[in-house]
Amino acid sequence: MRPTSFGPMLDTLTKQRGVSAALVVSERDGIVVDSNLQIGQSGDRVAALAASLYRKARLSAEAAGMGAVSFMSLEAPHGRLCAVGGGELVLVVVAEAAVNVGLVRVEMLKAAAGGSLAGAGGADGAA
Amino acid sequence: MTDDVRRLSDELARDPASRVFVPLGEALRKQGQLDLAHKITVRGLERHPHLADGHDLLARIAVDRGELERAFDEWDMVLRLAADHVGALRGMGFVCFQQGRLAEAEQYLAKASALDDADEGIAQALANVRAARASGVNPAADARREVRLPTGTAHDTRFLFADVLTDAEQTALLLDRDGLVMAGAYVAWDGRDVSQEVGAELSGVTDAARRATHHLALGDWTSIVFETEVTVVAMAPAEGDALVVLATSRSTPLGLVRRLLDRCTDRARRWLGGRQ
Repeated sequence: MRPTSFGPMLDTLTKQRGVSAALVVSERDGIVVDSNLQIGQSGDRVAALAASLYRKARLSAEAAGMGAVSFMSLEAPHGRLCAVGGGELVLVVVAEAAVNVGLVRVEMLKAAAGGSLAGAGGADGAA
Repeated sequence: MTDDVRRLSDELARDPASRVFVPLGEALRKQGQLDLAHKITVRGLERHPHLADGHDLLARIAVDRGELERAFDEWDMVLRLAADHVGALRGMGFVCFQQGRLAEAEQYLAKASALDDADEGIAQALANVRAARASGVNPAADARREVRLPTGTAHDTRFLFADVLTDAEQTALLLDRDGLVMAGAYVAWDGRDVSQEVGAELSGVTDAARRATHHLALGDWTSIVFETEVTVVAMAPAEGDALVVLATSRSTPLGLVRRLLDRCTDRARRWLGGRQ
């Protein structure tokens, strides 16, 4: 995978205490566009599943007329998976259970709102 | 209308910001006018949100209505405002006893008794709880296994969560592993029932969540929460790969969303257990 312009954004997120991985994923097919991973070899599978979950949430919200999905969080005893959408991409973060989710949420929404995510065209090269 | 109610009503009409809504609500409650008592108390608390006695009254109205979870929440609020509120401690003891949580019931009642040792009702309740614990018999356990639905709705599964939800802006749904609606309803903000559509889109969520947490070694997933422009949606797994879906307004505090989701999941679990 060649470097993309998402690198600084992913670095900022993985510098948060308790964050173990940050990925930019295509919502449509779940393919990783860029990542900063410390989660072993499962990155591709996790990316695809996270994109699938986010897509289901977005489509269900559309079906109910609830507007756009801004933030999604999946919780488990040993950690959580967070996602924020921007255009055709989804920003995914994997974190420990004890992470400051409020801080991660703000950083992710900031990244999405700031165009870092939606501006996919800024990628130097997609995977 | 009794003289007391008339006098207190006049007083509240003269000064809507006064705290007289508490004795007025109490008088109405005692007369069995629960809806009116509830309305007046809620309005009063809008002006005095930190008035412990107001929340205590709301809790007692909830008990009279058979809404134990709601009562628990209100008394919980009272104790956060006034940790030594004897009425709330007694109330929490009552709710815990009704729910079969005898150890917690004893703790609340013991504290209430220590604060007001002249109250024979508290002393008797404490003695009853201790006797139940000593005998190993849990009087509430059998009752707890039964799913209690609102009167008149026992055979309509759309109302499975009706008495668990706390306001009209909340809606809940139980889906099977294929996204088919099992119970509850998902009502959109314009009043449309979109249960089937939402279920279809959420089909496979349980499986995807399980696989994601498995790959990441996070343990079994417990909840998914997503925010939209107007709503917070929370989901939790239920038996047999079923999925509980709860939607609340965006203004609902996340802590309350979690609590509501727990209640809906508990309700779904009992209902699913009862069907087997």
